Amino acid sequence: MEVTMDPLFLAWSYFRRRRFQQCSDICSKILEDSPYDQAAWSLKTRALTEMVYIDEVEVDQEGIAEMMLDESSIAQVARPGTSLRLPGTSHGGGPTPAVRPMTQSGRPITGFVRPSTQSGRPGTMEQAIRTPRTASTARPVTSASGRFVRLGTASMLTNPEGPFIHLSRLNLSKYSQKPNLSKTLFEYIFHHENDVKNALDLAAQATEHAQFKDWWWKVQLGKCYYRLGLYRESEKQFRSALNHQEVVDTYLYLAKVYQRLDQPITALNLFKQGLDRFPGEVTLLTGIARIHEEMNNITSATEYYKDVLKQDNTHVEAIACIGSNHFYTDQPEIALRFYRRLLQMGVYNCQLYNNLGLCCFYAQQYDMTLSSFERALALVANDEEQADVWYNIGHVAVGIADLTLAYQCFKLSLAFNNDHAEAYNNLAVLELRKGRIEQSKAFLQTAASLAPHMYEPHFNLATLSEKIGDLQSSYIAAQKSEDAFPEHVDTQQLLKDLRQHFAVL
Amino acid sequence: MSSSADVSGEASKWLDAHYDPVANLYTFTSCVDLADLGGDGENKLVIGDLGDGSCGMKLKVYRGTALVSESTLLDLPTGLVSFLMDLHEPRIPAVAVASGPFIYVYKNLRPYFKFTLPGLEVNALEQDVWRQAREGQIDPLALKELLEGVRDTADVPLSARSLRYLALEREDMQEFVSLHKAQPVRRQTVITCIGTLRKSTADEDGVSCLVIGAESSDVYILDPEAFTILSKLSLPSAPTMMDVTGQFDVEFRITVACRNGNIYILRRESTKPKYCIELSSHPVGLVRVGKNVVVGCAEEQLQGFTQKGKKLWTASLPAPITTMAAMDLPTRGFQAVLVGLANCEVHLYREKNLVSVIKTPDVVTGLRFGRYGREDGALVMTTKGGGLAVKILKRTATFDERDGAPGPPPAQSVRLNVPKKTKLYVDQTLREREHAAAMHRAFQMDLSRVRLAAAKAYVKALEAGLTPVSARPSVPLKMNAVVQGLGPAFKLTLNVQNTAACRPILNLTVSFLYDVGLYSMRTPYFRIPLLVPGPVYPFETLVECTSDKGISDVIKVFVLHDGKTAPLLTAHINMPVSEGLALT
Repeated sequence: MEVTMDPLFLAWSYFRRRRFQQCSDICSKILEDSPYDQAAWSLKTRALTEMVYIDEVEVDQEGIAEMMLDESSIAQVARPGTSLRLPGTSHGGGPTPAVRPMTQSGRPITGFVRPSTQSGRPGTMEQAIRTPRTASTARPVTSASGRFVRLGTASMLTNPEGPFIHLSRLNLSKYSQKPNLSKTLFEYIFHHENDVKNALDLAAQATEHAQFKDWWWKVQLGKCYYRLGLYRESEKQFRSALNHQEVVDTYLYLAKVYQRLDQPITALNLFKQGLDRFPGEVTLLTGIARIHEEMNNITSATEYYKDVLKQDNTHVEAIACIGSNHFYTDQPEIALRFYRRLLQMGVYNCQLYNNLGLCCFYAQQYDMTLSSFERALALVANDEEQADVWYNIGHVAVGIADLTLAYQCFKLSLAFNNDHAEAYNNLAVLELRKGRIEQSKAFLQTAASLAPHMYEPHFNLATLSEKIGDLQSSYIAAQKSEDAFPEHVDTQQLLKDLRQHFAVL
Repeated sequence: MSSSADVSGEASKWLDAHYDPVANLYTFTSCVDLADLGGDGENKLVIGDLGDGSCGMKLKVYRGTALVSESTLLDLPTGLVSFLMDLHEPRIPAVAVASGPFIYVYKNLRPYFKFTLPGLEVNALEQDVWRQAREGQIDPLALKELLEGVRDTADVPLSARSLRYLALEREDMQEFVSLHKAQPVRRQTVITCIGTLRKSTADEDGVSCLVIGAESSDVYILDPEAFTILSKLSLPSAPTMMDVTGQFDVEFRITVACRNGNIYILRRESTKPKYCIELSSHPVGLVRVGKNVVVGCAEEQLQGFTQKGKKLWTASLPAPITTMAAMDLPTRGFQAVLVGLANCEVHLYREKNLVSVIKTPDVVTGLRFGRYGREDGALVMTTKGGGLAVKILKRTATFDERDGAPGPPPAQSVRLNVPKKTKLYVDQTLREREHAAAMHRAFQMDLSRVRLAAAKAYVKALEAGLTPVSARPSVPLKMNAVVQGLGPAFKLTLNVQNTAACRPILNLTVSFLYDVGLYSMRTPYFRIPLLVPGPVYPFETLVECTSDKGISDVIKVFVLHDGKTAPLLTAHINMPVSEGLALT
């Protein structure tokens, strides 16, 4: 006779092995037999939550509404080094755009893509609603919809017969009295159903039931307020939670609130306070490094990333950021070391090989260069990556003066990604060398309209127009280039020459 | 030359006497003067106000901070000077206002005399043509043709009336002819600048002649009492600014800046210019300091010349010059040049050295230094926004002269942040040296492989017309696509450009390839009109996302040529995820 395992135990075992679907199925079966089995009910909510769970600390999406219709900003011109919104306000001595490419918001590109590294603050509504080069990452989303809606609907799709819990029929006050059920229920409502208002109701009642002494409920309240955009309320909740119990997560949430309120200095102080309590905590150190990086203070950011590596020597973000920093400060051989370390750790993707190829080329290890790019090409996941790899091969081709190959590569880059402004710019230069001025001009204009934050197309257009004698266009383009990169010496020189030319008889 | 020290010391040099930002003055340096109009020993400020450029021209007189008199001018003033015209006591100066071809002389602020410049020689042919028109021998159309013929061939230019007539539309001609044919044809010039010249004595209160520069490239010197032309001098070009020194009966020198960018120096003995200074750019200000001439140029430079036209020095300025004036303080023997700049500053130059910088709240357009009220060292400034400011030079003010001796530029001592070459780098170079041949071989092999791969991919892209840039030399086209919107409705804009040098492109169509289950398109197929080379043509269409699953897809755009199956261009548009839900 076969001995069957206790189904609840089996479900629990599945849950621990992260096989949530099986766990949920068994729980459903148990619940069919005895609908009031609280243990099974609770386990099922947890399983369903875990299926769609993403780390709330890392998720950060600033919606269009928050960006464009921000009423809380008082000082339009912040003092240098106190705001995340004005790029280039720090004295950190960040690299110039001539050395390290900039994003649309005017920050140097980072070595690691994470939420809010690419978005920045669009200057105009037009920029805000336009789909940028990489539609998957860089665009601001409308708040409370976007990814959250998608996650909600995705979970809906898995349950075609209807949701597991009907929130509208739920008596929240009853559940809030039961601490053993209310926490899992809250997480289910918050993460799985994405119903922040009901979650807030539940949390408010539960914290009342706990006589405002349970830090966990306060953190949850703070999370709800944060989602709803009530940053000051959420700050209050997190602060109060920290008074009860100091937890790393709470520090991270609170710092996130301060960053959203554009108070990077307060966030930094908070992180340091957290570090006093939890010395060497990696997430806190990373947070500090990220803020420094966003404020263009690359040197301090690198210092903190190094501290991170002392605690956790497999931290991918730190390695990638230090590597890219070395690459852009003219030490590709050290960057190569860092990227190789990533490779040894098992990161195996197109971007990494791409970077390795570039590092090898600039560190003069030519035998490895092209094979790295070939690997990168073999590993591409989408058209954008393919375009970037071809673009970099084009760079190598320009470096070894094989202009035919370079031309083909830039064209291919455009074929895979029609909005690749850098490729347009470089192609224009190659066309100009061939003497096709009209083509070159058209490409430069396209590049300038695709990426108004880049100074290169403007400057190239200015030099081109100056050469063919169209001084007025040249002057206009040079002024745009100056806006994008005020310290660019060649632009200044060109402007000076043009002004002199206009003044001379 | 650093100006930072000057700015900090500025409060110790100038007192703010008066500032009215809304004085409603629109004038320039040439129309501002200081004179004792009442004969009471108190100098007034006389301003020829240009109004709004077409009406509201006024002659304004300020006493202290108040406007005491205002009389309407008939036309735009081009220059204003005060001068003593007779020997009567009390010695009250008259004011001469130049506008158009006339000089209006005011005495005791009442109109006193009007002088008109003599007319110029009229083309005989033109006169004959108008006579025929008056006698009704030719109709307006024939008149126009004849005048055009005269304009193209004759060496004497046409009169203003004929030029106006040639610009008329056909229906207005008859009326114009009947209105004007009775009057005789006259050719009149206009005054461009005005100055004064002492008649016979060098005294402060000597009688002065008026010196007038006219558009006809002549300079006239007028007798102060009879207003007859004492002397007529001619120049190669129309004068714009002038400076006069000396006495008419003894010896004089007129320095004239002309519209051709040259400066001419006229002397008593000859009616032709004696010296000529050729500048590298247009002069915008002309001031005489002692025996030297200081010229402000359009290329943001100040240049000093001797009275014989020899260049002495050049100083660069931080901004374009708006106006210039002399600063002469005989009690202290101080002479300098005031230069109004477009960056809201007034610089004071003594020789080539910057001795003072005055910051002003607005761009200064009119400057005059002299005795105002009973104060000797007053600086009157009018601004672009219509303001009037008066500053008084402190008696304790000293202008220390610092020579801007050229030293090494400060950038020379800044150390460049060149990263040190690491040990790793040295090791790698060693490896490179030892395995040079192998590395080269490996690289060459990889290079050939990459070339092949690139060529293959390129050919594939070309054959399928995948690129957004047409490779066919017969139809050079370029396209890029932009998606706007949050969804479910998106706007898709295709920017198509013909990059050929001169040939237009015809017979193009656009079609889209998309998943009909996901998207619906307003116009999935449309024709492109003729594309002229150069401009970018935006074509817009609306796409609606019909799915609520939060998924997105690629939309392909093809530009096709009539009669060809392969597309000319292809663009892949990665549609963003629809973030709004469609209203159902």
